[in-house]
Amino acid sequence: MTLPRWLTTGIAGAALAAGLVHGFFPIRNLPALGPLLDPAHGVWAAARTAELSAEESRALAGLGEAVTVEYDDRGVPHIFAATELDAFRALGWVHARDRLFQMEMTQRAASGTLTEVAGARTLELDRAARARGLPAAAAAKWASLAADDPTRAAIVAYMDGVNAWIAQASPAELPIEYKLLGVAPRRFEPVDCFLLLMQMSQSLSFRDDELRREAVEALIGAAATDALFPVDAPIQEPIEPVPGRTAPTYLTARFPAPTSPTPAKVATARARLEDGRRLIAGVESETKGEAVVGSNNWAIAPARSASGHALLSGDPHLQLTLPSIWYEVHLVAGELDLYGVSLPLSPVIPIGFNRDVAWTATNTGADVVDFYRETVDDSIAPTRYQLDGEWMPITSRLETFRGKRGEVLATDTLHTTHRGPLRRTSAGWTSQRWTALEPSGEAGAYLKAIRVRSVDAWYEAMSGYRAPAQNFLVADRSGRIAIRSTGRFPIRPGDGRGDRLQDGSTRASDWTGDWPAERFPQSMAPAQGYLASANQQPLDPTKRPGYLGWDWPTPWRAMRINQILRADAAMTPEKMRLAHTDPQSALTAPVLSALREAMRARPMASEEARAALAFLDGWDQHFDPESQGAVLFDAVLRTITNRTWDELIPEGDSSRVATPNSMLLVRLFEDRTSIWWDDRRTPEAREDRDQILVESLEKAWRDTRAQLGNDPTTWRWRMRRLTNVRHLLQLPGFDRESLAVQAGPGTLSPSEGRGTAGASWRFVVELGDTVQAWGIYPGGQSGNPVSSRYADRLEGWRLGQLNPLHLPRKAGELPGMVRQSVLTLTPAAR
Amino acid sequence: MTRPIWFLLTSVAMATLTWVVGWWMVPVVAAILTIARRDDAAAPLLAAAAGVLAWGIVLALVARGAPAGSVAQTVGRALRLGPNALVAVTLAYGGLLAGSAAELARALATPRQRPTPTL
Repeated sequence: MTLPRWLTTGIAGAALAAGLVHGFFPIRNLPALGPLLDPAHGVWAAARTAELSAEESRALAGLGEAVTVEYDDRGVPHIFAATELDAFRALGWVHARDRLFQMEMTQRAASGTLTEVAGARTLELDRAARARGLPAAAAAKWASLAADDPTRAAIVAYMDGVNAWIAQASPAELPIEYKLLGVAPRRFEPVDCFLLLMQMSQSLSFRDDELRREAVEALIGAAATDALFPVDAPIQEPIEPVPGRTAPTYLTARFPAPTSPTPAKVATARARLEDGRRLIAGVESETKGEAVVGSNNWAIAPARSASGHALLSGDPHLQLTLPSIWYEVHLVAGELDLYGVSLPLSPVIPIGFNRDVAWTATNTGADVVDFYRETVDDSIAPTRYQLDGEWMPITSRLETFRGKRGEVLATDTLHTTHRGPLRRTSAGWTSQRWTALEPSGEAGAYLKAIRVRSVDAWYEAMSGYRAPAQNFLVADRSGRIAIRSTGRFPIRPGDGRGDRLQDGSTRASDWTGDWPAERFPQSMAPAQGYLASANQQPLDPTKRPGYLGWDWPTPWRAMRINQILRADAAMTPEKMRLAHTDPQSALTAPVLSALREAMRARPMASEEARAALAFLDGWDQHFDPESQGAVLFDAVLRTITNRTWDELIPEGDSSRVATPNSMLLVRLFEDRTSIWWDDRRTPEAREDRDQILVESLEKAWRDTRAQLGNDPTTWRWRMRRLTNVRHLLQLPGFDRESLAVQAGPGTLSPSEGRGTAGASWRFVVELGDTVQAWGIYPGGQSGNPVSSRYADRLEGWRLGQLNPLHLPRKAGELPGMVRQSVLTLTPAAR
Repeated sequence: MTRPIWFLLTSVAMATLTWVVGWWMVPVVAAILTIARRDDAAAPLLAAAAGVLAWGIVLALVARGAPAGSVAQTVGRALRLGPNALVAVTLAYGGLLAGSAAELARALATPRQRPTPTL
C-alpha cells in the first residue's frame, strides 16, 4: 500500500518539526536533544575527553612565564611555575578542566541560584541558602580586601585561570552534566571563592540547635534537657591534654526525671522541629550524628616514632561525593613547594604540607550560631525591631529566584537586624548571629600559612582565621608538634551559654567579645609526645572551664586513638595507616559489660537472650566487613536506644525530636533504676535497666534472625553497613554504591546504615630529612564519570590503603613511568 | 550519480559536518542532497539510513581508544534507558532528522522536467 503524497509529506514535516524543536529546546525536564545526543559534541563526547593527552600545550592569558603541569599516575597535577600567581592561575585552569561542574554546583548551592540550572525543584534550597545570609556575607568579605592585598591577587589569578579554560573549551570538552541539564557554564567571579569557604563553614558550623533544644525542652523539661544534651561531656578525653593523665575521666552524670508534656508543649515541640528543618534545608551538616562526625587527626613527636621524625596523620570525615570534595595538587613556584588537597573554586590548600611543615584539621564543633527572639512592629511585614526600649530599623531587601530561562520563580523579602538575618519561626521573629557571616580572613590566612617553615609560624600566619573553628594539628621537621582549636569563639553574657534562644529585645543578650588566642584549647610540644583530636570536647571543664558548645560528639574515637598512641612508643607511617580503619571501638566494652551484668541480675532470662549474649561473648569486638557479632551488637544497641529514649517521641509520632548520643546511654547504664529506663509505651510495667537490656538482647536476636536468617554464622557486617558515594546530582550510573568498609559505631572510621559520610581524605606525612607522604581519598581527580580517573581510588580507600605521594622538586623529575601527561601553559595576550 | 555513491556521499557529508559543526547539519545535508535526487522515491529512506550510518561512524570514531561503552552505560543508566537503548536512541534520532528532512525537501522541490518522448 502506498500512502498518499500529502500524507507522507505531512508526517515528514511533523517529524522534522518535532525533531528540531526537541533538538533545540528543552521540553519539561528533558534537555534539548540535539546537543545531548550529538555523537561528536553531546554526552558521547565525554569519552573523547576522558583521558589526558600525553603532551599538550595551551595558551593562558595573564601568565608571566610558561607553566609546566606534569600529571602523575594518580592524576595529580604537579604545577611548576615561576611565580605564585602563575601557579594559582594554572591551578584555576586545571581545576576547571577536571571539576568545572562541581565548582558550578558549589557556587550555586552557596549563592542560592540552583534554580537557574535545576528549575523550581531546588527553590526551597535556594531560599534557605539566601535566608542564611551566605551570598551577602561573601560579597562583603570580598569587598573588604584591599586593592593591594596579595590574597586578592591570588584569587583573581585563580579565577582568571578558571574562566580561561571555560573560554577555550569546545562544547565537546564541557562536563557531561551540563549536557544532561541543558545549561551552559557560568563565568566565575573572585567572590565565588568566599562562597565556597562559607559553604564549608555552613557544613561545619551551622546548626539549628536552639530550636531543636526548645523542642526537646517542651517534651522533657529544662533539667532533663540539660542532662541529656549537656554542656560538658560526661566522659572526658580532651583535645588539650591534661598533664599526667593517662586515661579518660568521668564527670558526674545525673539524669533528672522528665516532665510530662501537655498537648500544647507537644505542639510547640513539633513546631520548633519544623522551624529547624526549614532553617537547615540544604545544609549537609557535619556537626551532628554519630557517624557523620568522624574526623580524626593525630601527630607523633620524634621521641615516639620509630624513625625519630615527627609524624602527622589527617583523616577528615565529610559527606562523600563524586567527584570528591578534594582535589590533590602539588604547587612549586619560587620558595613555594606545597602539596595537599585543594577545594575546587579556590586557590587555598586547607590540608597539606610543604618541605618543612604539615597541617591538618578536625572540626571543633563549637557553638558559633545564636538565635534571638525579636520584638517587631509588624508580625507580617516588620520594618522595626525593639532594642533596649527603642525601635531600630530593619534592613530589608528583595531576593529574586529565576529559572533556567531567566523566568522569575519567586521573590522573597529578606530582613536583617544588627545581629544578622531575621526570620519568621513558630517562636516569632527570630534573628541569627553566626561567626561565619562576619568579617574574617580565612583565605588570606591559608595563603600565608602554606609557605611557613615552622609550627609557630604556621599558627601566626593563621591568626586571621575565624570560621569554621577547626582543631588545627601541625608538625614540623624540627620535630615540634602542636594543636590549637582555632577560630572565633564568642563570649556570651550571663552564664555564658549559647544553647538557648536569647531575648533579642536587649543589647545585654549580645556577644561581649571573643576568646583571646591564648585561651584557645591548645597544646604545643606536649610532654606526652603525641596529640590527637576527634571532634570531642576540646577542654576538660574541670581544668579549664568556659562555654565552647554543648552536646559534644561521643568520645569513643578520641579514646581509641589515645589508647593506640599511648601503647606504642615506636609509631610508623604504616601503623598510622592501619589506625585509619582500626576495627575496634571504645563503645563496645561498656555496652557488653552492662549486658552481662543485666543477664546476671536476671537469671530467669529467656533462651533467646542467653543465646544472644553467648554470641556476643564469642565476638572479637571488631567491626570488619566479615564480622558476625558486629551485626548483633549494632542491633542490640539500636534496640536499647529505641527503648530508652521513648520520652523524646512526641505522642502520636514515631520518631524522636533528638537522640542523646551513646555516651549518655553508657553513663545511664550506671543507674539501674533510673526513671529513664521506664518505657512509657508499656504503662502496665515499670522497667529498669536490666529488663530493658535483656529484652533488647532478645528482640535484637529475634529480629536479626528474621531478617538475615536463623544461622548467625551466615550474618555479615557488610550486609548492614555499606557506604554510598553519590554523584552531586545523585544520578544512577554516576554513583558508586554499597561499598563494604571496615567501620562501625565509635570506630575511627564510624559508619551509619547505608551511609554517605566517611573519610574524605586520609594521609600520613613523615617529616624527616626528606619529606615522605601517603594519601588517598574516595574517588578520583576527574569529574568525568567515564574517565579512568573518576573513581580509581575508591577500592584502595575502601580497603584502607594509602598511595605514596610523588614529590618532585622541579619539572622533569617525575620518573617516566609515573609521568602520565605533560601540559604546557604558555603566556597569551588577554 | 548512482544510489550507492549518493548514499555514501551523503553519509560521509553528514558525519563530517556533524563532527565539525554539530548535530543540526544532518537535516541540512539530507535536505540539500535529496533535492539533487528528488526524482528518486527511495531517497528519503536512503537519507534516513545515511543519517544512522553517519552517526554510527561518528560514534565509532569517538569510541576509538575512548570509553564510549562507559558513556552508554553511565548515561544510559542516568536517563533510565540502558546502554543499548542510548545507542539506539542516538542513531534513531540521526535517522529521523535525516529522513524527515529528506522527505520534506523532496516534496517541496519542483520535479525535474522530464524530456518529452519523441516519436
